[in-house]
Order: sequence, then structure tokens, then C-alpha cells
Amino acid sequence: MLDQPIIRICLIVGSLLTAFYILRRVRLAKVQIEDTLFWLFFSAVLLILALFPGIAYRAAYLMGFQSPINFVYIVIIFLLLAKQFFMSIRISQLDSKVRILTERVALNEEKVEREKLDL
Amino acid sequence: MSKLLIVIPAYNEEANIVRVVEDLVERFPQYDYVVVNDGSRDKTAAVCREHGFHLIDLPVNLGLAGAFQTGLRYAAENGYDCAMQLDADGQHKPEYISAMLAELKDGADIVIGSRFLTVKKPKSLRMLGSYIISWSIRLTTGRAICDPTSGMRMFNRAMMEEFAQNLNYGPEPDTISYLIKNGAVVREVQVTMGERIAGQSYLTLWRSAEYMVKMSISILLIQWFRKRDTETPYPERSL
Repeated sequence: MLDQPIIRICLIVGSLLTAFYILRRVRLAKVQIEDTLFWLFFSAVLLILALFPGIAYRAAYLMGFQSPINFVYIVIIFLLLAKQFFMSIRISQLDSKVRILTERVALNEEKVEREKLDL
Repeated sequence: MSKLLIVIPAYNEEANIVRVVEDLVERFPQYDYVVVNDGSRDKTAAVCREHGFHLIDLPVNLGLAGAFQTGLRYAAENGYDCAMQLDADGQHKPEYISAMLAELKDGADIVIGSRFLTVKKPKSLRMLGSYIISWSIRLTTGRAICDPTSGMRMFNRAMMEEFAQNLNYGPEPDTISYLIKNGAVVREVQVTMGERIAGQSYLTLWRSAEYMVKMSISILLIQWFRKRDTETPYPERSL
């Protein structure tokens, strides 16, 4: 399937669109630079796999896959799963930060109100 | 004389903070300072309160960029003319502040306290990252920054305001390269730095490598795409 140009063109277009979109977000200062690194890496991987299909052929042969395109799928699934995992951790941390901040604000508010009542 | 605020970001520095701040207050009482406790898990905040230090206590950990930005926002809101970062581990020596202030008065936007301006940078593994970042900045801006990873940096009022309110303005070499590209005047002043006295350094080998890769990619690839927004002057935005 990877020998058909259409799938390679799709990979190239997908890769370029990803890079273009994320760099546009950087330009508009809508994303932190640390968070762009994964997507630039992801788009580079897609581009390399599309431009050098030999890599997928060789890897598929070594791993005993029926078709080289399966290797491309595996790579994409792995990268997205890894990203999902780290995002999960990050959301959990953000969650706890929001909780602590909310508690802090409420406690400060209470302190202000108590001082007002004392006066 | 221009009014300077020394921002001291502190994360788990209970062992060093007292010595660093007391030394600063005793020998250089003419400078204002503020300790920004970055949600430390140890007794940094308690120790600062006990000694009556000027403290901003962040309720959660934001990382160096967030802690330093807090200090710069404080400086911007309270009418300071310039601000600088001084590490809480005692590596940065306050005796060089006056030389840095002089450079700032001479027209620089950013002054870096550099270890390797007149001293040769050692060719060690530890300095490999510094070499690569220096080289990246040289390649993309044409300017030589001898010690890009030095945290001892001083900013004038305009830079302080820009750092205080924007995204992607961490106190790191990639921001410096971006600003040089946008016409900021960055100068270096030769300083010597001490070794950390107590406690653990944040920079392990793995973290250093990660930092170096991140900075190189950022300087070489990503900074080109940024657009500088200086259209809205600081006082007209709500902080």
C-alpha cells in the first residue's frame, strides 16, 4: 500500500499541515515553545517515513509485518499513545494545582472577611 | 540612580537562602530585593518569614520562568527602572551588580553576568551545552554571547515590561536570541561565580542534556517564526 503515491502524498500533506499549524500558533504567541517540540518531531517523523519508504519496507521486513504501511501505523500509534500518557500526567498535575489555588483564594478571602468583622 | 529590583527565585533553598539574602542586605543595602518562593516543598518560605525577608510566596510550583516572571511583574507594577535575577544558591555575587548597572545605563537593554567574557571557557563536557547554545545564537543572530546559560541577567524597564506580560519569555538563552534578532542590545560583563554551597542542584546530566536539546531546537528552528508584539504599551494592558 505504501507503494501507492496517494498514501505518501497524504503523509507529506499531513506532516506539513501539522508543522504549519503549530508554527502559526507560535507566531501568534498562543502556545508555549516546550509544547511545540513534540508536534514538530511528529511531523518530521511523518515526513521522513513518506520521503524514504525504504525505511518502512526494511522495518516491516525485520519485524515480520505483512505490509510496510503497518509499520507506519505502528509508529503513529506509538507516538500518539506516548503523547496521551504524558498529557494525562500533565492534566493530573494541572488539576492538583487548580485545586490548591482555589483553596488558597478561598482561605485568603475568609481571612479578609474575618478581619473585616473584627474591626 | 536608577531603581533596581533584585529578584531571587528560590525552590527548595532553605539551606542557602538566609546566607544569600543576609549577605546582600548587609553589604548592599542600597538595592531592593524580593525572594520569590516557587512553591518549595521544604521550609524556604517559613525561613524567609522568620528572618523578615521581603517574600512573594507562590502557592504552587511554576518553574523558574514563572517565578522570575512574578518578580518582574512586581517590579513593573511598583515602578522599578530595572530588574535582575540573582540565584538563591549563592552562585551569583552581588559585587558585580554595579558594573552591570553601568552597562545598562550605557544603553544596553539586557546585561548578562558572564563567566567567559575575558576568561577562556573550559572545554569540558559540562560546558558542551554552553558551547552549542553559544554557537546556535552566533549562527542565527551573528552576535557572540560568551555565557548564554548564565542566569545572572539584568533587564531595563522596557525589557522588564515585555518579559512581565508575554508568553514564551522565559529567562533563557532562546529568549535572548529572539530579542537580539529583534534589535535588543545585549551586553556582557565579566563576573566570577561561586559554587553552590549546600543542597542539590536541579541540573542533573539528563536534565542538562534535555535542556540543551530544547534550547538548540528553539533557537535554531522555532524563534524564526515568532512575531514580536510591542504594539500595546504596558500600562494600557491590565495585569
